[in-house]
Amino acid sequence: MLVVAGQELRDLWLGGRGLVLSFAFSLLMSLIAYLVATNRALNFLEHRETVNLALQVAIAVGALLALLAAADTVSGERERGTLESLLLTPVSRLAIAAGKLLAALSLWLGAFVIAIPYIWFLGRGVGLVRDALGIGVVVGTLLAVFLASFGFLISVFASSNRVSLSLSLLVLLALFVPTQLPTAAQQGWAGDLLLRANPITAGEHYVGKIVTDGHAWSQDASWLVSPLVAAVVFAAAALLVGARFTRLRGGATA
Amino acid sequence: MSAAIEAHGVEKRYGSLVAVEDLDFSAEAGEILGVLGPNGAGKTTAIRVLTTICAPTRGSFEVAGVPHTQSAEIRARIGVLPESAGYPERQTGEEYLRYHARLYGQSRAGARAVARSLLEEVRLGERSGSLISTYSRGMRQRLGIARALVNEPRVVFLDEPTLGLDPAGQRQVLGMVRRIADERGATVLLSTHLLAEVEETCSRVLILNRGRVVAQGTVSEVSRRAAAPRSGRICVAPDSVDAALSALAAVEGVAASVDGRRGLLVVTLARTESMNDAVGAIVHAGIPLLSSELEGARLSDAFLAMTGEA
Repeated sequence: MLVVAGQELRDLWLGGRGLVLSFAFSLLMSLIAYLVATNRALNFLEHRETVNLALQVAIAVGALLALLAAADTVSGERERGTLESLLLTPVSRLAIAAGKLLAALSLWLGAFVIAIPYIWFLGRGVGLVRDALGIGVVVGTLLAVFLASFGFLISVFASSNRVSLSLSLLVLLALFVPTQLPTAAQQGWAGDLLLRANPITAGEHYVGKIVTDGHAWSQDASWLVSPLVAAVVFAAAALLVGARFTRLRGGATA
Repeated sequence: MSAAIEAHGVEKRYGSLVAVEDLDFSAEAGEILGVLGPNGAGKTTAIRVLTTICAPTRGSFEVAGVPHTQSAEIRARIGVLPESAGYPERQTGEEYLRYHARLYGQSRAGARAVARSLLEEVRLGERSGSLISTYSRGMRQRLGIARALVNEPRVVFLDEPTLGLDPAGQRQVLGMVRRIADERGATVLLSTHLLAEVEETCSRVLILNRGRVVAQGTVSEVSRRAAAPRSGRICVAPDSVDAALSALAAVEGVAASVDGRRGLLVVTLARTESMNDAVGAIVHAGIPLLSSELEGARLSDAFLAMTGEA
């Protein structure tokens, strides 16, 4: 597994794709930091809200990068004709899947490291930085594991790389839709259930409670259930089901 | 000597499509077995099943003495050059081989040594540090063969290794195939649709058509066994043509006609031995025989007869 992960990491980072995506991410974070800092200076945003906003963007985009990398793993290799050579080695498909997932997750870790100075800059002076970074790494990692595993599964079964990337992005956008619903629609038992069941909205809601409202980590821990369950279930599915069905033709029975 | 590959009734279906059916054959250690067949005959599917990339729908097989149920064990003992193999464009040839050697359990230092040695062996030593994207097709095929050898395999599967290569490239690759068998003692299963490659390189041949084995044996055995109609050419003096036609008309199993060229007769034979009868009739009639040539006993005739490609 480590040999596969090592090579995947080299391909991702030394090949340039990881660096380009990280550079784009750092530009986005710079823009976000500038905008929220400006708004805070104009008293449009509270100090805590600026940190929350930047952190939520960092988590969402960092997890998105992991999703994109994972969605390319199997379907991309299949299209480039390199999958067969890998499957012909005695390395187990579980180890191949795990190695590829680890490499995809490195994009999230890279994004988080890039986000640290921005969060520090925005959160300094109110004793918020440590909590923000702590909750960011926990929620972000859970969401990144969930989305990367989901992307890997799509990649295994997709008939082409284009289908894999499109479908992954489509589902990700669908998961973000509830965050754009009017406040009234997010209230009541149905709205609450929708927000809690969706790992993205539940995770972001939890981050908001800690960072903006200053709640203790344990106070709203129930909001972490769906990100945690999604991460565990999808990672297990990627490693067991996905690995088993990693084959030359997407979705075909072999 | 134990068989390096043994297949018993192997079948592979994709839904209702039968890609390979009742595949029964064996290959001895150190031999080069050619697998011939027209496009869609099931050659690539057969190789994918035997290399454990696809599970058989029915039947069993052993490769390098390992039963098909132990796929990882088989993969550890074989080397494969898949048809239309892709290569990571941003890796160098040496990085590519080092990675694959590591996947077979080599240490970092061991992998480096294996990669360098194999690159020299396939004459890519000078380009070991170049990106694969800069390699020609022939160089990529040689790199693919080197990759198939990183684990010192006992059985090597090569699926259309000369496809798309110029004659010089084909010759280089076929030379490597012979060296794999001669110097490494590995069994080579060479899939191709080029008959000349098989005649030139292989000790035995397996002809597949529509997923089934239609012939197997040595090249000469398969050529003889084919029920292809035989033909021959008999050359006599131009003024003896009519007499020769009369003599041949009396021979059972021989039909003669005049070729466009002067003094040349084309004879169609019911069986190979009929050529002796035809020549005997000419000689017996006192007609000077200038030359005779038997045709129709080549692998190409057998292939065409057995695959219905004529």
